[in-house]
Amino acid sequence: MSQALRRPETLLPLTALGITVIAFALIPTYTDSDISAFDVYNTFQIFARLGPIALALGLTMIAGEFDLSVVGTYALGGMLTVQAGQENFAYGLLAAVGAGAVIGLVQGCVIAGLKLPSMPVTLATYIALLGLTSALSGGLTKTYSNVSVTLWVDQTVLTYFSPRSLITLGLFGIAAVVLTYTRWGRELRAIGGDRRASRVAGVRVGRLVVGTFVASGVLSALGGSLLSFSLGSANPDPGVQPLIVATAAALLGGVSLAGGRGNTLGLLGGILAVALLAEIVTVAALPLYVTQLFYAGLLGTIVVIDAPDLHSALIRQRARLRFESARPSRAGTPPHRQI
Amino acid sequence: MNLLATPSRLDAEAPHQSRRSRTDVAITAIVVLAVLAAIVMGLSTHRFVTLANAKAILTSASLVGIAALGLTLITIGGSAVSLAVSQTVAVAGMVFLSAQSLGLLPAFVIAVVCGTVITGLQGAVVGYAAANPVVLTIAASFAITGVATGVSGGTTVSPTGTGYDVLNATPGGVALSVYVLIVMALVVEWVLRRTGFGRSLYLIGENRPAARAAGLPVGRTTVVAWLAAGALFAVTAAFTAAFNTSANVNLGGTLTFDAIAAVLAGGTPISGGRGSALRTLAGAVLIAAVSDILLLRGYSTGVQIMVKGLIVLFVVVIVHLRAKGRQA
Repeated sequence: MSQALRRPETLLPLTALGITVIAFALIPTYTDSDISAFDVYNTFQIFARLGPIALALGLTMIAGEFDLSVVGTYALGGMLTVQAGQENFAYGLLAAVGAGAVIGLVQGCVIAGLKLPSMPVTLATYIALLGLTSALSGGLTKTYSNVSVTLWVDQTVLTYFSPRSLITLGLFGIAAVVLTYTRWGRELRAIGGDRRASRVAGVRVGRLVVGTFVASGVLSALGGSLLSFSLGSANPDPGVQPLIVATAAALLGGVSLAGGRGNTLGLLGGILAVALLAEIVTVAALPLYVTQLFYAGLLGTIVVIDAPDLHSALIRQRARLRFESARPSRAGTPPHRQI
Repeated sequence: MNLLATPSRLDAEAPHQSRRSRTDVAITAIVVLAVLAAIVMGLSTHRFVTLANAKAILTSASLVGIAALGLTLITIGGSAVSLAVSQTVAVAGMVFLSAQSLGLLPAFVIAVVCGTVITGLQGAVVGYAAANPVVLTIAASFAITGVATGVSGGTTVSPTGTGYDVLNATPGGVALSVYVLIVMALVVEWVLRRTGFGRSLYLIGENRPAARAAGLPVGRTTVVAWLAAGALFAVTAAFTAAFNTSANVNLGGTLTFDAIAAVLAGGTPISGGRGSALRTLAGAVLIAAVSDILLLRGYSTGVQIMVKGLIVLFVVVIVHLRAKGRQA
């Protein structure tokens, strides 16, 4: 048990969630306001806004890829929802999800088929999608006139939830079940950890990469749809902030940028931690830049702890110390446990 | 690190001799066709082939181009990209304008020092600890914006003097930033090709463990590359701030992605070890020229951005296929 707890994919989200929950519970001690049910509801609303793209990004990161295009798909999904779904929301949803699937399919085929690194490809797609979204809308924010849908997705359910946050939680539930109970979960981590070894072991790497990118595209587009329904409008350029916050959430969720590490529950924990943090900042009326500094500190710490050369230097140092203290009896055993 | 590194050669099945040469021919044909199509598009566009338009293209390529030259150093050295370019430029621009009362040159030097230090610090973490540059620069972009907002109170900085206006000069009818871009491109190219630093940088980008095993100062070389990149970001910042005559934390705009697009469109692979400053110059001019054609033909900004993304995608795929063909 303690061994499992010490693994970064458990330790990181648990710590992050623990700290933010405590900070959230202590809100009355450092502000004038009490915690209301609405604060919890609002946390889940922030979670719903962030969850789908963070999950999409997290899945590609586990597979050892990095899908920068999630925000592009997110913007396009939101715009298509508004433009195709004015009469019936289902058409909008369908258009968005279909577009997301096609984008994911094309990217996945290019990356897996030509064995290209994912970063430049998804970056190019990101730029192209932002352009496409802007061309579709003439660069303007489009409003969604179907007010009943807007009211429906954000109505309070069970005090703390809304249909939107429940749908997002449902997406995590599906991802968790698929990744835990089917072999895709293991194979996803395997291709993220060592692609050649998993190919030799019989994993159909190409298909899995394509599938991951399709999932990522669908999730991002769905996230954009839900946001458009909720806001009653679609913005052609969401900026890079969602991408950055989603990356932070995924890293806090214990996913490694090198790939091969992470699970859905950890991701959920990381994203909830980020959502709680955003709610705390809102309630405490802290200036926005404090959050930015906080994220910077957080990400900086994670990335430095994760840095391979720092690691090997520390391990070397530790080995040397052990060697010196254990000298004449036995020569320093080489450190075998690399985290 | 397979999200940045090109999959190793063993990973790809070795193509047969005939198939490889056929792919090579096909790639060359596609490139030639694309270039021809672009030329025909350009020639058939009203007012494209005029001196005034050429100046406009160069001017619009210059600000992105100078920053992209800095990014080229980072990319060649194997540190992928910096996602903090916009933020660094914003801060250096704010510093540049608020130091105007000291005179143009001191203000410029202070801005360059500011950009150099900010970027160099990130380079040190990447170079010595091998931290992931993407996440690190995301963190840095938060930190830079956060500190800048905190210090400036979120306000827009107005210049404290008028010395900056010199940067808006147009000697010979061409913006000063164009001359600076060309000179800088030649300087960076010379450094990359002719100095020990340049050669070490290529080797480190190509194969970091091998470079370390060969005794190259991996950390120091990486830091120098990032320092130089920071200086180039600051040069862009000074010109951008002078052009806008005010600066706030959003001064950088979409520069981060524009600069990356220029580097990639020039054919420098993101995995490092290859590429050149002149390629980046070509990439910046290519994107500016195509955007200009689309603008003259009356397409919206959205279409221009979309085509920029497609160009990057096209070049990335072509460069990768060619590199693979040669390797096999």
